[in-house]
Amino acid sequence: MARDETLASQPVLSIAALDKRYGKTAVLNQLHLNVERGAIHGLVGLNGSGKTTTMECVLGMQPFQSGKLQVLGRHPSRLWQGRGDVVGIFDAPSLHPALTVRQALEHARLVCGHPVRTPAEVEDLLGIARYSNYKIRQLSLGNRRRTSIAHALIGQPEFIVLDEPFNGLDAGGVDDVLALIKKLNHEHGTTFLLSSHQLAYLENVCTHLAILHRGRIELSDHVDNLFHGRQARLDVSCDQANRASVLLAEMPGVSDITRTGDNDHAMLSMTLHALDAAAVNTALVLAGISVSGLEMRRPSLTQLFHDIVGTH
Amino acid sequence: MDAFITALRAELYVALRSNSTRLVVVLPALISSVQLLLLSFRSAGEQAREALSGQGFGQTSVAGADAWGALVDAMSTGLTLTGLMLVAYAAWSFAGDRDSGALRHLLIRRVSRRALLAAKLVNVHIIGALSVALMLAVATLVANALWDFGPVVEDGYELIGTQEIHAEIRLGLILALIPLPAAIALGTLVSVSTQNATQAITAALGLTLALDIFKGLMGDASGYLYVSYQASLLNESYLSDVSRLVRGFSDVLIDPAALQLNQWAPWPQMLVMVVASLIIVQYRKL
Repeated sequence: MARDETLASQPVLSIAALDKRYGKTAVLNQLHLNVERGAIHGLVGLNGSGKTTTMECVLGMQPFQSGKLQVLGRHPSRLWQGRGDVVGIFDAPSLHPALTVRQALEHARLVCGHPVRTPAEVEDLLGIARYSNYKIRQLSLGNRRRTSIAHALIGQPEFIVLDEPFNGLDAGGVDDVLALIKKLNHEHGTTFLLSSHQLAYLENVCTHLAILHRGRIELSDHVDNLFHGRQARLDVSCDQANRASVLLAEMPGVSDITRTGDNDHAMLSMTLHALDAAAVNTALVLAGISVSGLEMRRPSLTQLFHDIVGTH
Repeated sequence: MDAFITALRAELYVALRSNSTRLVVVLPALISSVQLLLLSFRSAGEQAREALSGQGFGQTSVAGADAWGALVDAMSTGLTLTGLMLVAYAAWSFAGDRDSGALRHLLIRRVSRRALLAAKLVNVHIIGALSVALMLAVATLVANALWDFGPVVEDGYELIGTQEIHAEIRLGLILALIPLPAAIALGTLVSVSTQNATQAITAALGLTLALDIFKGLMGDASGYLYVSYQASLLNESYLSDVSRLVRGFSDVLIDPAALQLNQWAPWPQMLVMVVASLIIVQYRKL
């Protein structure tokens, strides 16, 4: 009981000063990362930044040279002692190609310490019931990925590591997986670490984000904190654009006003400093200017990512 | 132990549904049966030709020699094939799952690396045992359907009795089976050491054939090499001597020291390869 309480207060994943080299090439360089219980932690980085190596080290598939790495209080080489409390879903769907979907899921049930779902249930959950009798090698990449996720959900893992989970999925598949991640997180408190190049998807689902660059975590925080202090832009659709521009230019907390459209119907875009959209709306309406639209735009993850890794 | 049992059940679950496993179990029995059929056709053809030409008249015939000889040769062929296929299967077993990534789920969720390797070794041995048992049973049944078995008799004189033949075949089989675990261990060692399944199978078969050729160059020292006792393409196993014995040949010279080595030499070699595999698997990237 005491150990359970201790574990509950610890991060699900704790990485400190992790070094990993392939020969003389350093891939991970003093990497630090904590994943809190109940978080959906995204890991983003350029190709070759070390995302997959990090995932593989976390899951005990790769030895590392130095540093400390604990998953649910255990060294990665002892993850198996948790009897399925950690699962990994890899970039390449890791299933026996000669088995059918149903057989692969029966096999998962066989190796799962505490199965909580039947193969039929996870097939329904992932929308692959009609492929039940197909061999894994006959499936499309997207359906293999769905089967791989279904394979992981035979049990009730506390921590799921997903490497590029959206690769090969169609738009509907991406929506299903995003919804499933949110559902498992909300209903069962499942913690996720997921890597992807699809920054928009990560922005949609993640509570925390880490940016990995050249083997180091450059930034890791709650999504809200990542954008804190970064200036938001407000788009206002209105009439009497000339008057509105003058009025807004005189308002404290508004700067960098740009305008598109004519005087009767224009879009004014501006940067706000310690001022919310409601104040702008009130000022315009009181001046007799009709406002037909207001939209706040915070910096995107893509923009943040490019700012940090210095790419375009 | 729980982890090992889980891994073994998972291995057997996949093996039972794999065409590769079916091939390893069935092919040796099929090939040895085909060999028996071909030998029986050839034997019947020769007898017909001799009867028609009268060439066989007055020559001494050895009753029963063909039947026993054909059976032992078929068993030897079956065991040669079984040995090669088990080496290839053992090489594929770990490397194939590493390529597909299938072993990752087991290693993360339930099984240590060493328990998984041990389960794979046991799995290959079970498949090997099934393959040998099926091959021996089918070869015996087919041979019994094609020939009449009895003592080997020449001019009314019994050269070798049925019981003695049975004892020699039994000993020949036991001695030919003893090196198979070492052959499986070689396949496993190659499997955990190579980069992918294709490389593993190629290297394991190549090494086996190289060792087979190498043993001929080693002189007396080859007695310490496990492949010297394996039924193989360059057969020097005791089973090849049995093939001559059951045909009534009396010039078969059996070195008792070689028989002794046959019984113990493969075991330490197997042990060394298994321990090396367990060490490698613990530290390599999977």
